[in-house]
Amino acid sequence: MAPMDPLILSFALVNGLLIGGIYGGVALGLSLIFGVMRVVNFAHGSLLMLALYATFWLQALAGIEPYASIVVTVPLLFALGFLIQSVIIAPLIRRESALVVEPLSALLLTAGVYLVIDNLALMAFGPDVRSATTGFALEPLMLGPIPVNMQRLIAFSAAILSAILLSAWLRGTRMGRAIRATAQNRDAAALSGIDVPLVYAVTFGIGAALLGLFGSLLATFIPITPQVGLSFGIRSFIVVVLGGIGSIPGSIVGGLVIGVFEALASQFVPATSAAILSLGLFVLILLVRPSGLMGRA
Amino acid sequence: MITARPSRLRKGMVPLPGVAAPDSEGSGGGPVGLPGRRRARGGQGGASLAGAAALALAGLAALALPLVADAYVLHSCIVVLFFAYMATAWNFVCGYVGQLSIGHAMFAGVGGYATVLLFTGLGLSPWLGMPVGGLLAAGLSVVVGYPTFRLRGPYFALTTIAFAEMIRIWVENTDTFLGIPLNGAAGLTVPLRGESLAALQFNGKAPYYYLIVALLAGALLATWRLERSKLGFYLKAIRGDRDAAESLGISPARYQLVALAISAFMTGVGGGFYAQFFRYVNAERLIGVDLSIDIALMSIIGGQGTVFGPLLGAVLLAPLAEITRGALGGSFLGLHIVVYGIILMLAVLYLPKGLIAPLRTLLLRRAGRGGAR
Amino acid sequence: MTVPFSRRAVLALAAMAFGSSAHAQTEIPIGWVLPLSGGSAAIGQQARTGVQIAVDQINAAGGIKALKGAKLKLVFADSQSKPDIGVSETERLIQRENVAVIGGAFNSAVTFPATELAERYKTPWIVMGAVKDEITERNFKYVFRINNKATYDAREQLDAMDLLKKETGKGPQTLAVFYEGSDWGRSHASNVRKLAKERGYTIVLDEAAPPNQVDFSAQLLKIRAAKPDALIAAFYTPDHLLLSRQLFEQQLNLPFGLHSVGGGTEDPSFYKAVSPKAVAYYFVQEDRQVDALQGERRPEFTDVEKRFKEQLGYDMSAYGAQGFSVMYVIREALERAGSADRQALRDAIAATDITTGPAMYVGYQRIKFDEQGQNTFAHGAISQNLNGQRRTVWPAESRSPDTKPAWPVPAFGARS
Repeated sequence: MAPMDPLILSFALVNGLLIGGIYGGVALGLSLIFGVMRVVNFAHGSLLMLALYATFWLQALAGIEPYASIVVTVPLLFALGFLIQSVIIAPLIRRESALVVEPLSALLLTAGVYLVIDNLALMAFGPDVRSATTGFALEPLMLGPIPVNMQRLIAFSAAILSAILLSAWLRGTRMGRAIRATAQNRDAAALSGIDVPLVYAVTFGIGAALLGLFGSLLATFIPITPQVGLSFGIRSFIVVVLGGIGSIPGSIVGGLVIGVFEALASQFVPATSAAILSLGLFVLILLVRPSGLMGRA
Repeated sequence: MITARPSRLRKGMVPLPGVAAPDSEGSGGGPVGLPGRRRARGGQGGASLAGAAALALAGLAALALPLVADAYVLHSCIVVLFFAYMATAWNFVCGYVGQLSIGHAMFAGVGGYATVLLFTGLGLSPWLGMPVGGLLAAGLSVVVGYPTFRLRGPYFALTTIAFAEMIRIWVENTDTFLGIPLNGAAGLTVPLRGESLAALQFNGKAPYYYLIVALLAGALLATWRLERSKLGFYLKAIRGDRDAAESLGISPARYQLVALAISAFMTGVGGGFYAQFFRYVNAERLIGVDLSIDIALMSIIGGQGTVFGPLLGAVLLAPLAEITRGALGGSFLGLHIVVYGIILMLAVLYLPKGLIAPLRTLLLRRAGRGGAR
Repeated sequence: MTVPFSRRAVLALAAMAFGSSAHAQTEIPIGWVLPLSGGSAAIGQQARTGVQIAVDQINAAGGIKALKGAKLKLVFADSQSKPDIGVSETERLIQRENVAVIGGAFNSAVTFPATELAERYKTPWIVMGAVKDEITERNFKYVFRINNKATYDAREQLDAMDLLKKETGKGPQTLAVFYEGSDWGRSHASNVRKLAKERGYTIVLDEAAPPNQVDFSAQLLKIRAAKPDALIAAFYTPDHLLLSRQLFEQQLNLPFGLHSVGGGTEDPSFYKAVSPKAVAYYFVQEDRQVDALQGERRPEFTDVEKRFKEQLGYDMSAYGAQGFSVMYVIREALERAGSADRQALRDAIAATDITTGPAMYVGYQRIKFDEQGQNTFAHGAISQNLNGQRRTVWPAESRSPDTKPAWPVPAFGARS
């Protein structure tokens, strides 16, 4: 391999941070849901896919600007998440009322949700690739000779901002504190008068609503297909494990680490090998430090 | 699997002393827990004769099938039995230990690729190639399983996906490795030898059918033996409460690894069968996550941790896919997978012990009524 | 009690026998194995639409005249792009549906083992879309392929560069090859590698990427660092969309352009999703001559193109055209065979030598199979995207007089 141009490497770093932040933002909901409910949401990527399609259809049918469609996609996904939790997952929790839901059966349950959503999308939307375009003239930001894409920068900033706001909300509001209390000890929370089923449904709703936000933000630069969820879903697992399951800042840090790692590794090896390396990193972190980079051991 | 160790992860994540007690009793509080199995044991005296007779009858019927069925029916039966075999092999470790592997395709891939490569490279007959492939798969399973079996629940499941995907991507992008022609994403073809017993190639379907019936019978027998062996007892103990088992001197890592190696061996042999039957292997399919998911789902929906559950799952689910495909001719893209997903959700929610649980209760009640008791 | 029963049974049997024999006279079942769900579903759907239109036309025009106006009946099977499922479905088509001939199956990984089964059952198979060389290199008697082999695709891309170099005295020295890391992309890259060496090009970057990427920034930086004169790309639609958008955003200049071997750039839904500016001056190795066969020049094809657009919402695609063409080859063979018997049909297909008619829709001048079943007259065309239109630039004889290739291609800053 030829010696690398430092300029190229520094841009690889910038790109890695950008896409890494986006990975982290997309993974926030997965981490939140697991942290509170111990449910590994296998349908995480599928919900993002639905948000992407919602953005696309809002533009294609009603001419709504993708960035403006946030006002629709966020509540829509919140409702969908709320519904999935209260209709599909709640019975599982009720069955094991004395205990926290077994993560493995929850994983299987959400795997069923993933199979249903992805294939219903294939039936409803067809296999064609779609894309949404923003009406704003977003000139790329020039960093020296290399342009930085504005849409990505916006999504990146949104990721950081949502992580901060989510943390503040969890600390500062009554519902947020109820969520945190339930995460720490469900039974004690229930005894102290917290409506645990509601907390769970709201948590799942917020996790999904975050995907509604990123669906609208990503639709302008990600090709939309019924299968697009899976690649984000798998990446989100890696990010969340890396950052520490249940940790909000960990999700962003995990995303940044994996983004930079892949961007830099890709400069020295083909993307296929970089994919193997990032899976290897995932396994290694699980084995060596299962609590993740930011998690409490 | 649903009731056995719910607080395991939780203990690690959030200390909650109150929950440990019911758990250490071995899932007594669950809706369908060990008591069900105990009852099964109890009913055995009365049911065993009828059971054996039914088995013998089913076996005879299975053996006679090629005499009456046409090639398409036989082909479909081979595919169903292949999945039944793979699901049974998966169940051997995952069902009894209560861990979810979504990476078993890597063992199938190793077995399939080894069988083909040994035949094309060294002229080794697939009759030997398949067990050698199985041994290689068992070797890989020890390498993968040794570190990962410490992980629980979703962590283990995600790690098995990661390992299988690493191997798949690597094979797809490697044309030759140490002089071995893996042929990258293009896959490997089994060269045509015509009707040849030594090359395990037949023009008719019947020989393949008998082979997969024999493999399945072997896997079922192994599972049946496992249920009655010390290994099986230890596995169930580990599953019920890992810490308690450990304090009794049972080494979870060791017994889980032994079971995993046997399961991987069987899965690897299955991969070899796939290669011989379809005469073609490629990484995307044979090491792909779709195959891993299919195998696991059939076992889970049918009833993991039982001898016949995975067989039941495969017999119900594999034709379902075939029928929806045939009936709809692809006019509703992906409909059969939607049906799959719905069945999976219903099974997790309402039949956590699998479809075999109500069936078994029914059979036992009958046997109990008719028997001496 | 037994008498009425057996009489009824006899009647039923007679009805069945009568029904099925009448059936055989009026309908000829034709099987198709296509990826109708899974990652390649869009292509399967296009092919199915082309096939269906051809059959509707043939049946409306009176069916197969040599068989007393017998109608064609289509039986579609979904391979899901998986080899074993494709083989099982082939088994079903041959054993259960009793098809006279099978078409398909786009994915080489499905076509390769499935055609072996067809060969064993002595059922003719006409390959659609799959380009793996070995499919028609096995001395099979029942397997035919109308379209290109993989090696033809790579050769045509370099032929086009050589032609433009000869015409202008300017051309690339260094190439980058960037492709999807599954069967198709990798085998194309290895063909390019072989040929580029023979013809004196230097490959400065040889890079695969796993399918369904969400970001190509890192790879674009590598291309930027390698500074190739031209880029050869092989990607399916979603990845090609991402690549084209990012190349455009990053204003990454390739003096002698991007040369795509089809895949995404032949998919009409790709052009619906991408900005025309992002694909300006692209060279595409087309599986059919996109501009020579537009409806206005060949009125007999307005019907198929209109119906295709009605059904799928976009213009005719190469795979739709191939499916359409395969059905007309089958019809022509059925007319000559005068029989739907598999053996007779196989012999008729093997003796095919067509130079006119709807079977030529893909843009070949002749369809004639060699002893391996490969149509040696298969060729593609290389188009360049000029003013939003893909215009054929290679072969030179197919280039219309008003097509002026842009060579070298203008830099992003110099485009209007």
